[in-house]
Amino acid sequence: MTLLVEHVGFTTVQDAGRRGWAHLGVSHSGAADRGSFHLANRLLGNSPGAAVLESAGGVAVRATSDTFVVITGAECDAALNDRPVSHCQPLLMRAGDLLRVSTVHHGVWMYLGVAGGIDGPEQLGSHSHDTFGNIVPLPLDNGSELEVGVLQGPPLGMDTPVALRNSERVAIAAGPHGYMFRQDDLVDIFRQPWTVSGEPNRVGIRLMGPAVHRDFTDELHSFPLVRGAVQLTPAGELVVMLADHPTTGGYPVVGVVLPLDVDRLAQARAGARVTWQWRQV
Amino acid sequence: MPLDLHDDIQRAPVVLAYGAEASMLDHLAAGQSARAREAVLREIAIAGVVAHDVVVGARSLVVTHQANDGEKVRAILRDVSLHTTPESSPGTQHFVEIAVRYNGDDLDSVAQQCGITTREVISLHTDADFVVEFCGFAPGFAYLTGLPLTLVLPRRTTPRPRVAAGSVAIAAHYSAVYPRESPGGWHLLGNTTHEMWNINRHPPAFLQPGTHVRFVELA
Repeated sequence: MTLLVEHVGFTTVQDAGRRGWAHLGVSHSGAADRGSFHLANRLLGNSPGAAVLESAGGVAVRATSDTFVVITGAECDAALNDRPVSHCQPLLMRAGDLLRVSTVHHGVWMYLGVAGGIDGPEQLGSHSHDTFGNIVPLPLDNGSELEVGVLQGPPLGMDTPVALRNSERVAIAAGPHGYMFRQDDLVDIFRQPWTVSGEPNRVGIRLMGPAVHRDFTDELHSFPLVRGAVQLTPAGELVVMLADHPTTGGYPVVGVVLPLDVDRLAQARAGARVTWQWRQV
Repeated sequence: MPLDLHDDIQRAPVVLAYGAEASMLDHLAAGQSARAREAVLREIAIAGVVAHDVVVGARSLVVTHQANDGEKVRAILRDVSLHTTPESSPGTQHFVEIAVRYNGDDLDSVAQQCGITTREVISLHTDADFVVEFCGFAPGFAYLTGLPLTLVLPRRTTPRPRVAAGSVAIAAHYSAVYPRESPGGWHLLGNTTHEMWNINRHPPAFLQPGTHVRFVELA
Protein backbone atom coordinates (compact mmCIF):
# COMPACT_ATOMS: atom_id res chain seq x y z
CA MET A 1 0.00 0.00 0.00
CA THR A 2 1.33 3.43 -0.92
CA LEU A 3 0.06 6.99 -1.10
CA LEU A 4 1.00 8.84 -4.26
CA VAL A 5 1.67 12.53 -3.72
CA GLU A 6 0.06 14.47 -6.57
CA HIS A 7 0.40 18.02 -5.36
CA VAL A 8 2.39 19.37 -2.45
CA GLY A 9 2.97 22.67 -0.60
CA PHE A 10 5.39 22.76 2.37
CA THR A 11 4.82 19.22 3.63
CA THR A 12 7.02 16.87 5.67
CA VAL A 13 6.72 13.46 7.30
CA GLN A 14 6.58 13.76 11.11
CA ASP A 15 6.31 11.36 14.03
CA ALA A 16 6.98 11.71 17.79
CA GLY A 17 10.55 12.91 17.07
CA ARG A 18 14.02 11.60 17.96
CA ARG A 19 15.34 11.36 21.47
CA GLY A 20 18.82 10.81 22.82
CA TRP A 21 20.86 12.86 20.31
CA ALA A 22 20.47 16.43 21.56
CA HIS A 23 23.96 16.31 23.17
CA LEU A 24 25.37 16.01 19.61
CA GLY A 25 23.38 19.00 18.37
CA VAL A 26 20.35 17.08 17.05
CA SER A 27 16.97 18.59 17.84
CA HIS A 28 14.04 16.55 19.10
CA SER A 29 11.98 17.54 16.03
CA GLY A 30 8.67 15.66 15.54
CA ALA A 31 5.20 17.12 14.96
CA ALA A 32 5.03 20.89 15.61
CA ASP A 33 1.54 20.51 17.15
CA ARG A 34 1.83 17.30 19.15
CA GLY A 35 -1.82 17.31 20.26
CA SER A 36 -3.15 17.29 16.69
CA PHE A 37 -0.57 14.65 15.71
CA HIS A 38 -1.61 12.32 18.55
CA LEU A 39 -5.28 12.94 17.78
CA ALA A 40 -4.78 11.78 14.18
CA ASN A 41 -3.19 8.52 15.33
CA ARG A 42 -5.82 7.91 18.05
CA LEU A 43 -8.65 8.42 15.57
CA LEU A 44 -7.11 5.86 13.20
CA GLY A 45 -6.30 3.31 15.92
CA ASN A 46 -2.60 3.68 15.05
CA SER A 47 0.28 3.13 17.46
CA PRO A 48 0.91 6.45 19.26
CA GLY A 49 4.11 7.40 17.43
CA ALA A 50 3.03 6.50 13.88
CA ALA A 51 4.29 8.91 11.21
CA VAL A 52 1.90 11.32 9.48
CA LEU A 53 2.12 14.12 6.92
CA GLU A 54 2.43 17.63 8.36
CA SER A 55 1.56 20.37 5.88
CA ALA A 56 1.47 24.14 5.95
CA GLY A 57 0.84 24.56 2.25
CA GLY A 58 -1.64 21.88 1.30
CA VAL A 59 -1.19 18.41 -0.15
CA ALA A 60 -3.04 15.95 -2.39
CA VAL A 61 -2.59 12.17 -2.17
CA ARG A 62 -4.00 9.23 -4.12
CA ALA A 63 -4.45 5.81 -2.47
CA THR A 64 -3.25 2.67 -4.29
CA SER A 65 -5.57 0.44 -2.23
CA ASP A 66 -8.42 0.89 0.27
CA THR A 67 -7.40 2.65 3.48
CA PHE A 68 -8.56 5.02 6.21
CA VAL A 69 -7.17 8.55 6.54
CA VAL A 70 -7.93 11.51 8.82
CA ILE A 71 -7.23 15.26 8.82
CA THR A 72 -6.47 17.13 12.06
CA GLY A 73 -4.78 20.39 13.09
CA ALA A 74 -5.20 23.61 11.12
CA GLU A 75 -8.68 24.21 9.70
CA CYS A 76 -8.50 23.87 5.93
CA ASP A 77 -10.53 22.97 2.86
CA ALA A 78 -10.46 19.22 2.26
CA ALA A 79 -12.09 17.18 -0.49
CA LEU A 80 -12.22 13.48 -1.32
CA ASN A 81 -12.68 13.14 -5.10
CA ASP A 82 -13.82 16.81 -5.09
CA ARG A 83 -16.50 16.14 -2.43
CA PRO A 84 -15.94 18.24 0.74
CA VAL A 85 -15.04 16.14 3.82
CA SER A 86 -14.85 16.85 7.55
CA HIS A 87 -11.93 17.29 9.91
CA CYS A 88 -11.17 14.89 12.73
CA GLN A 89 -13.27 12.15 11.20
CA PRO A 90 -11.73 8.99 9.71
CA LEU A 91 -12.41 8.79 5.98
CA LEU A 92 -12.47 5.64 3.87
CA MET A 93 -10.35 6.08 0.74
CA ARG A 94 -10.92 3.52 -2.00
CA ALA A 95 -8.10 2.52 -4.30
CA GLY A 96 -7.66 5.35 -6.81
CA ASP A 97 -9.41 8.00 -4.65
CA LEU A 98 -7.81 11.46 -4.44
CA LEU A 99 -7.75 13.40 -1.15
CA ARG A 100 -6.94 17.07 -1.56
CA VAL A 101 -6.24 19.40 1.37
CA SER A 102 -5.84 23.03 0.34
CA THR A 103 -6.42 26.53 1.72
CA VAL A 104 -5.76 26.81 5.44
CA HIS A 105 -8.39 29.01 7.13
CA HIS A 106 -7.15 28.88 10.67
CA GLY A 107 -3.87 27.76 12.22
CA VAL A 108 -0.70 26.70 10.43
CA TRP A 109 -0.05 22.96 10.55
CA MET A 110 -2.49 20.42 9.13
CA TYR A 111 -1.96 16.70 9.80
CA LEU A 112 -2.91 13.94 7.38
CA GLY A 113 -2.82 10.59 9.13
CA VAL A 114 -3.17 7.21 7.43
CA ALA A 115 -4.17 3.89 9.00
CA GLY A 116 -0.93 1.96 9.64
CA GLY A 117 1.18 5.14 9.58
CA ILE A 118 3.68 6.30 6.96
CA ASP A 119 6.60 3.90 6.75
CA GLY A 120 9.34 5.91 5.05
CA PRO A 121 13.08 6.19 5.74
CA GLU A 122 14.21 6.67 9.36
CA GLN A 123 17.31 8.44 10.67
CA LEU A 124 18.42 8.25 14.31
CA GLY A 125 15.22 6.44 15.22
CA SER A 126 12.65 8.77 13.69
CA HIS A 127 10.90 9.48 10.39
CA SER A 128 10.71 13.19 11.20
CA HIS A 129 12.22 15.70 8.81
CA ASP A 130 14.22 18.19 10.90
CA THR A 131 14.22 21.53 9.07
CA PHE A 132 17.04 22.94 11.23
CA GLY A 133 19.46 20.00 11.16
CA ASN A 134 18.30 18.72 7.73
CA ILE A 135 17.84 15.18 9.02
CA VAL A 136 15.77 12.78 6.90
CA PRO A 137 16.29 15.01 3.87
CA LEU A 138 13.04 13.90 2.27
CA PRO A 139 11.52 16.71 0.27
CA LEU A 140 8.05 15.68 -0.77
CA ASP A 141 7.54 16.32 -4.47
CA ASN A 142 4.72 15.82 -6.87
CA GLY A 143 5.06 12.15 -7.73
CA SER A 144 6.61 11.02 -4.42
CA GLU A 145 5.44 7.63 -3.21
CA LEU A 146 4.87 7.12 0.51
CA GLU A 147 4.94 3.59 1.88
CA VAL A 148 2.20 2.89 4.42
CA GLY A 149 2.60 0.51 7.36
CA VAL A 150 0.37 -2.30 8.51
CA LEU A 151 -3.14 -1.50 9.76
CA GLN A 152 -3.25 -1.73 13.58
CA GLY A 153 -6.98 -1.78 14.25
CA PRO A 154 -10.30 -0.19 13.31
CA PRO A 155 -10.56 3.62 13.38
CA LEU A 156 -12.48 5.33 16.19
CA GLY A 157 -15.71 7.21 15.58
CA MET A 158 -14.81 10.38 17.41
CA ASP A 159 -12.37 12.08 19.77
CA THR A 160 -11.95 15.57 21.19
CA PRO A 161 -10.08 18.03 19.00
CA VAL A 162 -8.61 21.17 20.54
CA ALA A 163 -10.33 24.29 19.21
CA LEU A 164 -8.01 26.87 17.64
CA ARG A 165 -8.55 30.41 18.88
CA ASN A 166 -7.34 33.87 17.89
CA SER A 167 -6.29 35.28 21.22
CA GLU A 168 -4.02 32.80 22.88
CA ARG A 169 -3.77 32.68 26.64
CA VAL A 170 -0.53 30.84 27.15
CA ALA A 171 0.54 29.09 30.36
CA ILE A 172 4.15 29.89 31.22
CA ALA A 173 6.51 28.81 34.02
CA ALA A 174 9.59 30.60 35.33
CA GLY A 175 12.69 30.37 33.14
CA PRO A 176 16.22 29.61 34.38
CA HIS A 177 17.58 33.13 33.76
CA GLY A 178 15.04 35.17 35.71
CA TYR A 179 17.84 36.03 38.16
CA MET A 180 19.33 38.34 35.52
CA PHE A 181 16.34 40.70 35.73
CA ARG A 182 14.83 42.92 38.39
CA GLN A 183 11.59 41.28 39.50
CA ASP A 184 9.54 44.30 38.30
CA ASP A 185 11.10 44.18 34.84
CA LEU A 186 10.37 40.47 34.56
CA VAL A 187 6.74 40.98 35.61
CA ASP A 188 6.44 43.81 33.06
CA ILE A 189 7.52 41.53 30.20
CA PHE A 190 4.54 39.25 30.69
CA ARG A 191 1.89 41.68 31.96
CA GLN A 192 1.13 42.95 28.47
CA PRO A 193 0.08 41.04 25.37
CA TRP A 194 2.65 40.21 22.70
CA THR A 195 1.95 39.78 18.98
CA VAL A 196 3.12 36.92 16.77
CA SER A 197 5.28 38.10 13.87
CA GLY A 198 7.17 36.47 11.02
CA GLU A 199 6.50 33.51 8.78
CA PRO A 200 5.34 30.21 10.28
CA ASN A 201 8.21 27.76 10.71
CA ARG A 202 9.15 24.68 12.76
CA VAL A 203 12.15 26.23 14.59
CA GLY A 204 10.81 29.12 16.69
CA ILE A 205 7.94 31.59 16.87
CA ARG A 206 8.81 35.29 17.11
CA LEU A 207 6.78 37.73 19.21
CA MET A 208 6.82 41.54 19.29
CA GLY A 209 5.76 43.40 22.40
CA PRO A 210 6.43 46.15 24.89
CA ALA A 211 9.89 47.64 25.33
CA VAL A 212 11.81 45.50 27.83
CA HIS A 213 14.13 46.98 30.40
CA ARG A 214 17.36 45.04 30.85
CA ASP A 215 20.33 45.97 33.01
CA PHE A 216 22.86 43.41 31.89
CA THR A 217 25.22 43.54 28.95
CA ASP A 218 27.16 40.29 29.35
CA GLU A 219 26.13 37.41 27.17
CA LEU A 220 25.41 34.06 28.74
CA HIS A 221 27.49 30.94 28.39
CA SER A 222 25.79 28.77 25.76
CA PHE A 223 23.23 26.52 27.44
CA PRO A 224 20.78 23.80 26.31
CA LEU A 225 17.42 24.92 24.93
CA VAL A 226 14.15 23.02 25.28
CA ARG A 227 10.85 23.13 23.38
CA GLY A 228 8.81 26.00 24.82
CA ALA A 229 11.81 27.99 26.12
CA VAL A 230 11.16 31.75 25.69
CA GLN A 231 14.36 33.60 24.77
CA LEU A 232 14.60 37.40 25.01
CA THR A 233 16.75 38.62 22.12
CA PRO A 234 18.96 41.74 22.28
CA ALA A 235 16.42 43.37 19.90
CA GLY A 236 13.75 42.95 22.59
CA GLU A 237 11.78 40.21 20.83
CA LEU A 238 10.66 36.97 22.41
CA VAL A 239 11.36 33.73 20.52
CA VAL A 240 9.57 30.57 21.67
CA MET A 241 11.38 27.35 20.74
CA LEU A 242 9.39 24.87 18.62
CA ALA A 243 10.07 21.27 17.51
CA ASP A 244 13.20 21.90 15.40
CA HIS A 245 14.84 24.42 17.78
CA PRO A 246 18.65 24.60 17.98
CA THR A 247 19.92 22.46 20.88
CA THR A 248 21.85 25.33 22.52
CA GLY A 249 21.35 29.09 22.76
CA GLY A 250 22.79 32.17 24.37
CA TYR A 251 19.96 34.63 25.03
CA PRO A 252 18.32 34.61 28.45
CA VAL A 253 15.31 32.28 28.86
CA VAL A 254 12.75 34.40 30.71
CA GLY A 255 10.03 31.74 30.83
CA VAL A 256 9.05 28.31 29.53
CA VAL A 257 5.69 27.76 27.80
CA LEU A 258 3.99 24.60 29.08
CA PRO A 259 3.81 21.73 26.56
CA LEU A 260 0.12 21.86 25.56
CA ASP A 261 0.35 25.58 24.92
CA VAL A 262 3.46 25.18 22.73
CA ASP A 263 1.08 23.34 20.36
CA ARG A 264 -1.20 26.36 20.27
CA LEU A 265 1.68 28.79 19.67
CA ALA A 266 2.97 26.58 16.85
CA GLN A 267 -0.44 27.02 15.20
CA ALA A 268 -0.50 30.84 15.67
CA ARG A 269 -0.11 33.14 12.66
CA ALA A 270 1.40 36.61 12.39
CA GLY A 271 -0.85 39.12 14.11
CA ALA A 272 -2.20 36.70 16.74
CA ARG A 273 -2.21 38.19 20.24
CA VAL A 274 -0.64 36.22 23.07
CA THR A 275 -1.34 36.85 26.74
CA TRP A 276 0.44 35.04 29.56
CA GLN A 277 -0.66 33.13 32.61
CA TRP A 278 1.99 32.17 35.18
CA ARG A 279 2.01 28.60 36.47
CA GLN A 280 4.07 26.67 38.97
CA VAL A 281 5.64 23.42 37.76
CA MET B 1 24.55 32.41 18.79
CA PRO B 2 26.52 34.64 21.14
CA LEU B 3 29.85 33.48 22.44
CA ASP B 4 31.16 34.40 25.83
CA LEU B 5 34.17 36.66 25.68
CA HIS B 6 34.37 37.27 29.40
CA ASP B 7 34.75 34.75 32.16
CA ASP B 8 32.21 35.96 34.67
CA ILE B 9 32.17 35.43 38.41
CA GLN B 10 31.71 31.79 39.37
CA ARG B 11 28.29 31.33 40.97
CA ALA B 12 27.41 28.32 43.10
CA PRO B 13 25.84 25.45 41.13
CA VAL B 14 22.05 25.55 41.22
CA VAL B 15 19.34 23.03 40.23
CA LEU B 16 16.04 24.28 38.86
CA ALA B 17 12.95 23.27 36.90
CA TYR B 18 13.18 24.26 33.22
CA GLY B 19 9.49 24.13 32.35
CA ALA B 20 7.39 21.03 33.07
CA GLU B 21 9.48 18.50 31.12
CA ALA B 22 13.10 19.52 31.78
CA SER B 23 15.44 20.30 34.67
CA MET B 24 18.69 22.26 34.64
CA LEU B 25 21.94 22.12 36.60
CA ASP B 26 23.41 25.59 36.04
CA HIS B 27 26.62 27.41 36.98
CA LEU B 28 28.94 24.41 36.72
CA ALA B 29 32.63 25.27 36.83
CA ALA B 30 34.49 25.49 33.50
CA GLY B 31 35.29 22.05 32.09
CA GLN B 32 32.82 20.19 34.32
CA SER B 33 29.80 19.73 32.07
CA ALA B 34 30.93 16.61 30.14
CA ARG B 35 31.99 14.93 33.39
CA ALA B 36 28.70 15.90 35.05
CA ARG B 37 26.86 14.38 32.07
CA GLU B 38 28.54 11.01 32.61
CA ALA B 39 27.59 11.10 36.29
CA VAL B 40 23.98 12.07 35.53
CA LEU B 41 23.61 9.29 32.93
CA ARG B 42 24.92 6.77 35.48
CA GLU B 43 22.73 7.99 38.37
CA ILE B 44 19.63 8.19 36.19
CA ALA B 45 20.14 4.59 35.06
CA ILE B 46 20.58 3.45 38.68
CA ALA B 47 17.43 5.31 39.78
CA GLY B 48 15.45 3.79 36.88
CA VAL B 49 14.26 7.20 35.68
CA VAL B 50 13.67 7.67 31.96
CA ALA B 51 15.65 10.63 30.60
CA HIS B 52 14.82 11.65 27.03
CA ASP B 53 18.00 13.66 26.60
CA VAL B 54 20.92 14.75 28.76
CA VAL B 55 22.39 17.82 27.06
CA VAL B 56 25.33 19.96 28.13
CA GLY B 57 26.13 23.62 27.54
CA ALA B 58 29.28 25.55 28.44
CA ARG B 59 28.47 25.70 32.17
CA SER B 60 25.15 23.86 32.41
CA LEU B 61 23.41 20.54 31.92
CA VAL B 62 19.77 19.87 31.07
CA VAL B 63 17.77 16.65 31.42
CA THR B 64 14.48 16.35 29.52
CA HIS B 65 12.03 13.97 31.17
CA GLN B 66 8.35 13.19 31.77
CA ALA B 67 6.53 15.89 33.74
CA ASN B 68 6.01 13.66 36.80
CA ASP B 69 9.73 12.73 37.04
CA GLY B 70 10.88 16.31 37.70
CA GLU B 71 11.46 15.92 41.45
CA LYS B 72 13.42 12.66 41.02
CA VAL B 73 15.62 14.15 38.29
CA ARG B 74 16.31 17.30 40.30
CA ALA B 75 17.33 15.21 43.32
CA ILE B 76 19.85 13.39 41.08
CA LEU B 77 21.15 16.69 39.70
CA ARG B 78 21.61 18.09 43.23
CA ASP B 79 23.53 14.97 44.20
CA VAL B 80 25.76 15.17 41.11
CA SER B 81 26.41 18.90 41.65
CA LEU B 82 27.79 18.13 45.11
CA HIS B 83 30.16 15.48 43.79
CA THR B 84 31.35 17.11 40.56
CA THR B 85 34.18 19.43 41.48
CA PRO B 86 37.21 20.65 39.55
CA GLU B 87 39.25 18.15 41.60
CA SER B 88 37.08 15.09 40.91
CA SER B 89 38.66 12.38 38.80
CA PRO B 90 38.55 12.78 35.02
CA GLY B 91 35.82 10.83 33.27
CA THR B 92 36.27 8.44 30.37
CA GLN B 93 39.09 9.92 28.28
CA HIS B 94 38.72 9.72 24.53
CA PHE B 95 41.50 11.23 22.38
CA VAL B 96 41.40 11.97 18.67
CA GLU B 97 43.74 13.69 16.21
CA ILE B 98 42.48 15.79 13.32
CA ALA B 99 44.78 16.39 10.36
CA VAL B 100 44.50 19.95 9.06
CA ARG B 101 45.74 21.77 5.98
CA TYR B 102 46.32 25.30 7.31
CA ASN B 103 45.30 27.32 4.25
CA GLY B 104 42.19 29.09 5.57
CA ASP B 105 40.97 32.40 4.19
CA ASP B 106 41.41 34.12 7.57
CA LEU B 107 44.85 32.77 8.51
CA ASP B 108 46.61 36.02 7.56
CA SER B 109 44.06 38.32 9.16
CA VAL B 110 44.10 36.24 12.38
CA ALA B 111 47.92 36.53 12.50
CA GLN B 112 47.67 40.27 11.91
CA GLN B 113 44.94 40.82 14.54
CA CYS B 114 46.85 38.73 17.10
CA GLY B 115 50.15 40.45 16.28
CA ILE B 116 52.00 37.22 15.41
CA THR B 117 53.07 35.35 12.26
CA THR B 118 50.88 32.80 10.47
CA ARG B 119 53.47 30.17 11.43
CA GLU B 120 52.92 31.09 15.09
CA VAL B 121 49.13 30.87 14.66
CA ILE B 122 49.55 27.33 13.31
CA SER B 123 51.96 26.33 16.12
CA LEU B 124 49.64 27.67 18.81
CA HIS B 125 46.68 25.82 17.28
CA THR B 126 48.55 22.51 16.87
CA ASP B 127 50.20 22.68 20.32
CA ALA B 128 46.94 23.20 22.20
CA ASP B 129 45.06 20.41 24.02
CA PHE B 130 41.42 20.88 23.10
CA VAL B 131 38.37 19.30 24.77
CA VAL B 132 34.80 19.26 23.43
CA GLU B 133 32.79 21.32 25.89
CA PHE B 134 29.41 20.92 24.18
CA CYS B 135 27.77 20.49 20.77
CA GLY B 136 25.27 22.89 19.23
CA PHE B 137 24.57 25.18 16.25
CA ALA B 138 24.26 22.16 13.92
CA PRO B 139 24.39 18.36 14.26
CA GLY B 140 28.01 17.41 15.00
CA PHE B 141 29.24 20.99 15.60
CA ALA B 142 31.54 20.69 18.64
CA TYR B 143 32.75 23.66 20.69
CA LEU B 144 36.38 22.95 21.62
CA THR B 145 37.90 24.70 24.63
CA GLY B 146 41.64 25.04 25.14
CA LEU B 147 42.34 27.83 22.64
CA PRO B 148 45.46 29.78 23.72
CA LEU B 149 44.56 33.30 24.90
CA THR B 150 46.75 34.83 22.17
CA LEU B 151 44.27 33.50 19.57
CA VAL B 152 41.09 34.75 21.29
CA LEU B 153 39.27 37.10 18.89
CA PRO B 154 35.63 38.16 18.59
CA ARG B 155 33.70 36.64 15.70
CA ARG B 156 34.00 38.24 12.29
CA THR B 157 31.85 41.36 12.04
CA THR B 158 30.30 40.04 8.82
CA PRO B 159 29.50 36.31 8.86
CA ARG B 160 30.04 34.38 5.64
CA PRO B 161 26.85 33.06 4.00
CA ARG B 162 28.68 29.80 3.20
CA VAL B 163 31.50 28.06 5.05
CA ALA B 164 32.65 24.74 3.56
CA ALA B 165 32.27 21.44 5.44
CA GLY B 166 35.56 20.53 7.14
CA SER B 167 36.59 24.16 7.73
CA VAL B 168 38.70 24.47 10.90
CA ALA B 169 37.90 27.74 12.63
CA ILE B 170 38.28 29.80 15.80
CA ALA B 171 36.14 32.42 17.58
CA ALA B 172 36.19 33.74 21.15
CA HIS B 173 37.59 30.99 23.42
CA TYR B 174 36.63 28.19 21.02
CA SER B 175 37.86 26.24 18.04
CA ALA B 176 35.56 24.09 15.87
CA VAL B 177 35.30 22.11 12.64
CA TYR B 178 32.24 22.87 10.49
CA PRO B 179 30.48 19.49 10.05
CA ARG B 180 28.65 20.59 6.91
CA GLU B 181 28.40 23.61 4.68
CA SER B 182 26.59 26.36 6.56
CA PRO B 183 26.67 30.09 7.21
CA GLY B 184 29.37 31.02 9.73
CA GLY B 185 31.09 33.94 11.44
CA TRP B 186 34.21 32.20 12.73
CA HIS B 187 37.77 32.81 11.52
CA LEU B 188 38.85 30.09 9.08
CA LEU B 189 42.35 28.67 9.71
CA GLY B 190 42.28 25.64 7.43
CA ASN B 191 40.38 22.50 6.53
CA THR B 192 40.27 18.80 7.25
CA THR B 193 38.93 15.79 5.38
CA HIS B 194 37.87 14.07 8.62
CA GLU B 195 34.13 13.50 8.49
CA MET B 196 32.67 15.26 11.54
CA TRP B 197 29.11 14.05 10.94
CA ASN B 198 27.83 10.91 9.26
CA ILE B 199 24.25 10.02 10.05
CA ASN B 200 24.86 6.35 9.14
CA ARG B 201 27.77 5.94 11.56
CA HIS B 202 27.33 5.15 15.24
CA PRO B 203 27.66 7.56 16.89
CA PRO B 204 27.08 9.97 13.99
CA ALA B 205 29.26 12.72 15.52
CA PHE B 206 33.07 12.33 15.43
CA LEU B 207 33.40 14.72 18.39
CA GLN B 208 31.26 14.40 21.53
CA PRO B 209 31.24 16.27 24.84
CA GLY B 210 34.43 15.29 26.69
CA THR B 211 36.44 14.16 23.61
CA HIS B 212 40.07 15.40 23.73
CA VAL B 213 41.32 16.78 20.40
CA ARG B 214 44.74 17.61 18.93
CA PHE B 215 45.09 19.27 15.53
CA VAL B 216 48.00 18.01 13.42
CA GLU B 217 49.40 20.00 10.51
CA LEU B 218 49.36 18.33 7.08
CA ALA B 219 52.34 19.38 5.03
